[in-house]
Amino acid sequence: MTALRRVVHEVGSVEFGPATGYHQHHLVVGRELLESLFADPALAAVRPRLASPGESVRIITPLDVVEPRSKGPGGGMFPGFLAPVNRKRGPDTHVLRGAAVLAAGYLPRNQEGLIDMSGPAAPLSPFSRTHNVVIEFDPAEGAPLLEVERAVRRGLLRLAVQLADAAVDSTPDAVEELAAPHRPGTPTGGLPRIGVITNLQTQGAFKDVFVYGASMAGSLATLFDPAEIEDGAVVAGQYGHPALRNPTYLHQNHPVIAELRARDGLDLHFAGVVLCPEPVEQGGKEHVSAHAAWLCQAAGFDAVIVTKEGAGNADNDLGMKVDALEAAGLTAVALYAEMSGPEGTGPPLVAGPRRGAVVSTGNYDQRLKLPAVAHALGGTRLRIIDAEATAAIEVPVAMILGGLSPLGAGRLTCRAEPPAVGLEGVA
Amino acid sequence: MVTNLVTIAEQVGAPRIVPGRGIQYPSGDPNLSPPAEHEWRRRLVERALAALTTPVAKPTIFTVDEMGAGA
Amino acid sequence: MRLVHYVNQFYAGLGGEDAAGLGPSVRDGAAGPGRLLQQLLGADHQIVATVVCGDDYAASDPAVSAELLGMARAAGAELLIAGPAFGSGRYGLVCARLVAAAQAAGLPAVASMHPDNPGIGEAGAAPVVAAGAVARQMRPTLERLAAAVAKLATGAPLTAEDGRVGATARIGRLVQDRAAKRAVELVLARLSGDRERTEVPIGGFDVVVPAAPVDKASAAAVALVTEGAVVPLGNPDRLESARATRWLRYPIEGVDSLASGTWESVAGGFATTHANADPNRLLPLDAARELEREGAIGHLHGEFFSTVGNGTTVATAKRFGVEWAAELRKAGVQAAILTAT
Repeated sequence: MTALRRVVHEVGSVEFGPATGYHQHHLVVGRELLESLFADPALAAVRPRLASPGESVRIITPLDVVEPRSKGPGGGMFPGFLAPVNRKRGPDTHVLRGAAVLAAGYLPRNQEGLIDMSGPAAPLSPFSRTHNVVIEFDPAEGAPLLEVERAVRRGLLRLAVQLADAAVDSTPDAVEELAAPHRPGTPTGGLPRIGVITNLQTQGAFKDVFVYGASMAGSLATLFDPAEIEDGAVVAGQYGHPALRNPTYLHQNHPVIAELRARDGLDLHFAGVVLCPEPVEQGGKEHVSAHAAWLCQAAGFDAVIVTKEGAGNADNDLGMKVDALEAAGLTAVALYAEMSGPEGTGPPLVAGPRRGAVVSTGNYDQRLKLPAVAHALGGTRLRIIDAEATAAIEVPVAMILGGLSPLGAGRLTCRAEPPAVGLEGVA
Repeated sequence: MVTNLVTIAEQVGAPRIVPGRGIQYPSGDPNLSPPAEHEWRRRLVERALAALTTPVAKPTIFTVDEMGAGA
Repeated sequence: MRLVHYVNQFYAGLGGEDAAGLGPSVRDGAAGPGRLLQQLLGADHQIVATVVCGDDYAASDPAVSAELLGMARAAGAELLIAGPAFGSGRYGLVCARLVAAAQAAGLPAVASMHPDNPGIGEAGAAPVVAAGAVARQMRPTLERLAAAVAKLATGAPLTAEDGRVGATARIGRLVQDRAAKRAVELVLARLSGDRERTEVPIGGFDVVVPAAPVDKASAAAVALVTEGAVVPLGNPDRLESARATRWLRYPIEGVDSLASGTWESVAGGFATTHANADPNRLLPLDAARELEREGAIGHLHGEFFSTVGNGTTVATAKRFGVEWAAELRKAGVQAAILTAT
């Protein structure tokens, strides 16, 4: 496994301009570059837009979100999509922190998610705090939607690399050393070896997550080098369940890996990362879960944090993993969103584990009142609630992109208490 | 578990639940004639035995009267 | 506000367990504890009617709540009060269902019962305030209930400060630490021995991992156990009628049936007349013995265990369950039929 250096360039503002550039925290996105990156027979037009934190802007039907990153002149970012899988990559990964590129528009399975850059929904999405380059797009007449999706993804990934390329020669704001996880057998000094299993949705078209450019559907769990995830080995092609979706950005900035790294050597040993598919039928689920538990044991984990992507079907896999791990003698904790109804009095978990422990990332059904906004990107109408995209609306947390982040990026949780104040009353 | 208060049995997680006809008489029914009540009680115990030999994953209700009809 | 109060047959003065089968009725003004409640409420609110029903009648059919709600509304209810049910399971169940139905229909409602009342879960999102464990605690219970009613009448929600208990809502909150960090802390806590800690209760009330099924009943040793307080006539071993602290065991080897007059139920939570007329209605020995003879049961265990469920705490009941399982396993028993009242 590899050690890596994250070379961080902060972004404080962004604008469009004739040429792409980065200077003293200001990012300029070149229009011509952008058009060329998205030039594709499957796309009739793209309309780039900007949305920055604090603005009265609502991005609706967001698709994937990617953090601008580059390996520098040697290249190699996003193996399997932009770069060959086996090419040796350098130790430095340049990051434009505070910026994101995302597409917004219609693709199948894209339940009408949203990101509000200000207001009560803002604290619930990680993407209200990034300077967003939003690509609206129109499919070409008759273009198969899978081709449209591929074109959009290719454009986003290339844009992410080219924007970060602009910062490569700048003095970084920070350099973060990311040590490799400890191999089994390394003396721990009594510290517990804790790993993470990240379940990836593998349901086919528009509901798939790619590892080295390919779906994990049909495979078993595998140990995986977190440095590869930093370099874009995991790319999201899954557009259902906005609040329960893990965009590429959150794999690149995997919260659980980050927290394990933060305490590595202090009260734990970061023992490794396992990627695992989420099969859609019972037999597959049992088989995959049993194998994943075995794999964690073989890798010498003492405990595992398990994450998912999706709703009820994913919950099933999550519960089975936890139960299998605990039965194998490993301590397991899973991140679940609750689905306890608008009043929060229903059973919190429908497909929970029988053993182990659960972190709550919030209640899917909790209602939120959002004010009208000045501008909407991605579309003009929120079809799912039949409202103008800029209107004042009432929505469940389920609709906020990243709102119930299964990877643990959010600060939302549920507490058992008599109903007093809704989310509006919380800072 | 043989009980009339099936909801509570489910809430407490009793995996195998056989509904009785009355709170005061979980394995009886004073509204029936003695031979009919005895016959019903037999069916109840048979249903309980069936429940005991059935794998369950969560609280499951095994109704007596369903089985009774025509059994 | 115009209040309607629901009480059971006992608190309405219609009788005890003998009247538990009575159907619903309504009377003007306050009745039973409603009178003291009215005093405590003062002139601002008036109990205009009291709806009454027998516990057995009301508890055995969930549809009865709709009937009772209808009667309350017909009597002009602007707010519905149910109880206090204290620890009475059936009464609590009815009160909980009634306020849940009222809330769903848009009528403000509040129930009063002890937090351990087994019926409390059916209240859903409707408020329940804590009552004492027993009727002796009527006055402080009604004082709290009156305060809750007054607050509810202003449109303010009830909180833990008002004595609110029961299936409370799980409300979304933004906290300091992101979930990933909380997951690491949780796993460290569990590794260091805290096996209770979790952000989400697993399984709700309790998680009972189902035992694997018995292979064949005809080859199995099966025991009969009960929480219906079946004891020899006269209760020689002094089993409690409520809030059990112990359980008892009695031999039934060679006994074909529980004869009336030899056995009785001392359960305090319901009328035991039917059970005493035929104790097999609480512990189905006669049917089980027959089935054993016919080969449907391999072997009926030679003794039964008995305790009383009425008012017994969950912790105690759990303990009894564990002890019973241990005893039965020791004796080579593979399965048990538990009758619960």
